[in-house]
Amino acid sequence: MNLITALARLLIFPGLLFAVPVAWFFLWVERKSVAMMQERIGPPFMQPFFDFIKLLGKSTPSRSGVDGLLMKAWPLIAVSAAVGAVGLLPVLPSSGGFEGDLILLLALLEVPAICIIAAGFSSRSLFGEIGSAREAVLTVSYNIVFLLAIVSIAFSQHTFRLEALAQLPATPLRYLGVLAILVCIPAKLHINPFSLPNAEQEIYSGPLTEYAGPELAMWQLSHGLEWVAATGLVATLALPHVAFWWLGIPIFAAFSFGIVLLLSVLAAATARLAIDTTVRFYWQCTLVFAVLAISSALFMRIRS
Amino acid sequence: MNILTMMWRNVRRGAMTLRFPARPPVPSGFRGLVRFDPALCTGCAVCRFRCTARAIAFSSAKTEFTWSYDPGQCTFCGRCVEGCKTHALSQEPSCPPVYLTIGNLKTSYTLARKPPAPKNGAAAPPPAGDRTKQPTKGDAQ
Amino acid sequence: MNLWNKLMCYSRRHSPWLFHMNSGSCNGCDIELVASMTPRYDAEQLGVCLEGSPRHADILCITGPVTHTSVRAVQTVYAQVCGPKAVVAIGSCPATTNVFIDSRVLAGPLNRHIPVDVFVPGCPPRPDAILQGVVKAAEILAERGRTVRVPEPAPAPQSTPLSSAEPGEGQP
Repeated sequence: MNLITALARLLIFPGLLFAVPVAWFFLWVERKSVAMMQERIGPPFMQPFFDFIKLLGKSTPSRSGVDGLLMKAWPLIAVSAAVGAVGLLPVLPSSGGFEGDLILLLALLEVPAICIIAAGFSSRSLFGEIGSAREAVLTVSYNIVFLLAIVSIAFSQHTFRLEALAQLPATPLRYLGVLAILVCIPAKLHINPFSLPNAEQEIYSGPLTEYAGPELAMWQLSHGLEWVAATGLVATLALPHVAFWWLGIPIFAAFSFGIVLLLSVLAAATARLAIDTTVRFYWQCTLVFAVLAISSALFMRIRS
Repeated sequence: MNILTMMWRNVRRGAMTLRFPARPPVPSGFRGLVRFDPALCTGCAVCRFRCTARAIAFSSAKTEFTWSYDPGQCTFCGRCVEGCKTHALSQEPSCPPVYLTIGNLKTSYTLARKPPAPKNGAAAPPPAGDRTKQPTKGDAQ
Repeated sequence: MNLWNKLMCYSRRHSPWLFHMNSGSCNGCDIELVASMTPRYDAEQLGVCLEGSPRHADILCITGPVTHTSVRAVQTVYAQVCGPKAVVAIGSCPATTNVFIDSRVLAGPLNRHIPVDVFVPGCPPRPDAILQGVVKAAEILAERGRTVRVPEPAPAPQSTPLSSAEPGEGQP
């Protein structure tokens, strides 16, 4: 993949220009479907866009020193990493990629979570610290399952290339892996039942308590882009391979939309779990299956 | 599974929300802004005595009195309405409006005192001065 | 940048984010404010979000007659709300201290301490009346952005909301 293709994928499709409206669209879909399931109307269609513009027009509190610089930097890093993650998705079949871009995608998907944790600590606010501590515990818990599931799929197919993974044959291991990833995605996206770091009434917005104005707009944008990247990853791994690009793109988009609806149903149907229940869920229940998956992948590889 | 059936029913039934400027009807007997009927008021000031929030102010001179009411101060309890013997006060069955400046909703009325009622069948004395009804409102928003 | 200005005013009118603060209220108005987020009144159809942090909000909704112990908190939270902001006094308590008039524990009506834009009378006001007040405040916010440049923010504390800091200046 040469520089021109890389820049086109990062900035145009499926990168910045295309991903930002899709991020706003997915944010709206989540809010609107949760509202419909609660017998409400919900926000109008352009609501995330208007929220973004309004936040750009607000002033930020003055901050001095290294903390101030760091606080300004974390949301920008989060947005850049999320855009990069979306740009790596193989939406167009055979659009180029490189060996190991799965690893890069996973790393870029982790960066917004790390930025939230760092932002909570560098805001030097009590509520930010508590929220960041919760986010850190949550990240450690679901990441093990998430990474083990993806690695076991990739490992069993001898490849770390996203395009090759998109064209996998349908094995039970692949669908079990997708199921495990789907269990981890609500925690990554901070939606119920794993919306612990955002617990509003408990810790005043958690890690983002001290953020305002354009920085907050960047955090909302990175959250929306995380939605796009995470649902795109699941769509990549779960969809069957389609040869024609004019069929592949709508199917990819429709599948991502379906996953957003599924996650909204989950968010509307459950309540927020406390930290001990969350950790117990990921470490006791799902970790067993993830370990089983990686060991069966190892076993299959050794046998073949 | 109960929650999922509930959510499915909610989606099928559609939203129960009132679209924005629409407001629900207030129940019967709702206690809103206090209305004053100048024709019935005798100037006894029982309403000022009974008011829990000092929303009703009353000042009186020999031939006239001023009754004023500040809805911003009012707690809409209805004690003034209960205490008025001539039923000059009543409460509107609707929500008081939103306002932008303190004192915007204040109303006050200056009325001349009625002549006393005749005793023992004697002829009624001629009325002293006429009842001037000058409701003065603060500028509404 | 006329188009940008128009877009910004439209966005401010259509995306009012609230922060709710209780300065000694009996909780009646707080319950009605939260009731305006329920499906029957659904504040989210107007883009309203009840935010967890004063820095995220545009409109500060305050209930309660301001008690002596909450004056510093009210002023601190007002200073922490960023950018173009508006204040809604919900109920008759913040406007005039209602039945608690002349009480020893009160520090007077709210507009002695912070500038208030909209008063929603009622004891408690109905949720639809609160929504009308919020929409009026959002319109005021949009107008405020149209005519006045966003002022420089006052220095505000960075830690817990009740830490010691000087209160910010009022909105021009």
